[in-house]
Amino acid sequence: MTPTEIRQIIRDFLLNELIRDESYPLKDDEGIISGGMMDSFALAELGVFVEEAFDVYIPDADLTVDKMDTLDLMVARVLQG
Amino acid sequence: MNFDLALLGIAAVGALIFNFFVPQSWRESFLLTVSVTALFWLQPPLPIRWSGFLLPFFLLFLVIWSWWLTKPADQRSMDRQSWQTLAIVLGLVLLLACVRYLPPGWRPTLNRPPGIEVVGALAALFALFMWLIQGKKVERFLFGMLIIIGLFVMVKTEWIVVQISTVWRTLANQNPSLAASTDIFWLGFSYIAFRLLHTIRDRQTGQLPDLSLQKFVSYTLFFPALLAGPIDRAERFSQDWDRMSELTADDWPRWQKGLTRIVQGLGKKFILADALALGLSLNPTVATQTDSVFWLWILLYGYAFRLYFDFSGYTDIAIGVGILFGIELPENFDRPYWQSTITAFWQRWHMTLSSWVRFYVFSPLSRTLLRRKPRPSPQLIVFVSQMATMIIIGLWHGITINFLIWGTWHGLGLFIHKIWSDRTRKWYRQLQTYPRRLLLWTWFTRFITFHFVVIGWVWFVIPDFASAVDLLGRLVGY
Repeated sequence: MTPTEIRQIIRDFLLNELIRDESYPLKDDEGIISGGMMDSFALAELGVFVEEAFDVYIPDADLTVDKMDTLDLMVARVLQG
Repeated sequence: MNFDLALLGIAAVGALIFNFFVPQSWRESFLLTVSVTALFWLQPPLPIRWSGFLLPFFLLFLVIWSWWLTKPADQRSMDRQSWQTLAIVLGLVLLLACVRYLPPGWRPTLNRPPGIEVVGALAALFALFMWLIQGKKVERFLFGMLIIIGLFVMVKTEWIVVQISTVWRTLANQNPSLAASTDIFWLGFSYIAFRLLHTIRDRQTGQLPDLSLQKFVSYTLFFPALLAGPIDRAERFSQDWDRMSELTADDWPRWQKGLTRIVQGLGKKFILADALALGLSLNPTVATQTDSVFWLWILLYGYAFRLYFDFSGYTDIAIGVGILFGIELPENFDRPYWQSTITAFWQRWHMTLSSWVRFYVFSPLSRTLLRRKPRPSPQLIVFVSQMATMIIIGLWHGITINFLIWGTWHGLGLFIHKIWSDRTRKWYRQLQTYPRRLLLWTWFTRFITFHFVVIGWVWFVIPDFASAVDLLGRLVGY
């Protein structure tokens, strides 16, 4: 899967399942957790989604604001494997 | 908290020696020595004979055994450096035991250690144990975690402590009928236990970096964080530790940074918190003596701020002292009472404890439930995970009904906020386009959040259920 495809799949998941507003203009470097649109539970949901969609396990200690705040960071973490 | 200015003075002198006189290659050993000494020195005196010495000794044993558990399975042999560290630690314990032979006025603590022959035998048994277990490739992570959790439950449950004290008093030829829950106060155990659980669990999941015995003991017992945290993470501590030999004594910005934090902490703890404690802060006695609803609220606000200034002031001092020794401990508070949601409060109050529980309880539990097929409803998963997390935070303070209720109160608050914020997210984003309305809403929710937390403190400050219910009734005029 290419980085562009991964980005699109995560973007769709964030907008449909977590932010719950498909029309929201989410930027690649926008602080999603620090901006109050995702909480700890949404991070756990994202962790399980990434496992199921890309077969990549993200350890609990990596599911933090520092490491997963933006779409860019999330894509980079998935690509890291 | 067992902390005074004399202790801080000693830490400051220690920092001067560490930076200006200790050769760079000896700094790690110096810090290990200071931290192990502090473990014994800071332990308050206890009524049961020798217990004030044996409890830190056993804690040291637990730490070193946990280090062995966190070694990768194929590297469990004690190398030369590990034996050297063990020798330094046990030699230090023997030296500390010698204070028994000093005249009472000369002893640094009121704890009188057992005779040197007893401590020598214990130290020999300790070394023998490490020699026997070295090289064993048995994975005992779960066993190790259960031992630590079991000890934690024991020392946090009043009834169990009284039973232990009764047995211990009998063995020590002391009157067992005098056994009390205050007989066993194990300095730093709550924090050390959580650091140990973190390292064992991270080894189990393969995330813990390899730590030498010297680094591991210094991490778990790092003396500024011994009394009341913060709960650092091993991999973060390790980075600072590895740079310790590069520290320069004339790094004035570092001195300024550390000393500024210490002064801020002293101001919070010894001026603000202590001033509030003089009569403007609720305690169980004052609660029964105050009839006025207005003054009860004032006293409760006073308690909320005293708790914050005391704890965050202590943390500032710990962080400041840490900086003087080249270790930047993590932050523990970030304007918690200024937050407009209970979720934001818990991201800024006792942050290292809440992060710990998020990593090791909330996240794994909610992910496990999310993976179940068929998946339970998200609301149910959030409820179970939030409740488990907050009840554990509550019981971490002590296994009592009031701490259980306090944890449940916050668990419910977080759950309700989660449901509310999910349903109003779109509305809230629209509100952000109206700055004045947003400001008004933020002040309103800040007020609600602060009072939710303050009401929760009733369960914290009042030790028994009936008195807490009575106080809550009187706060609303009943």
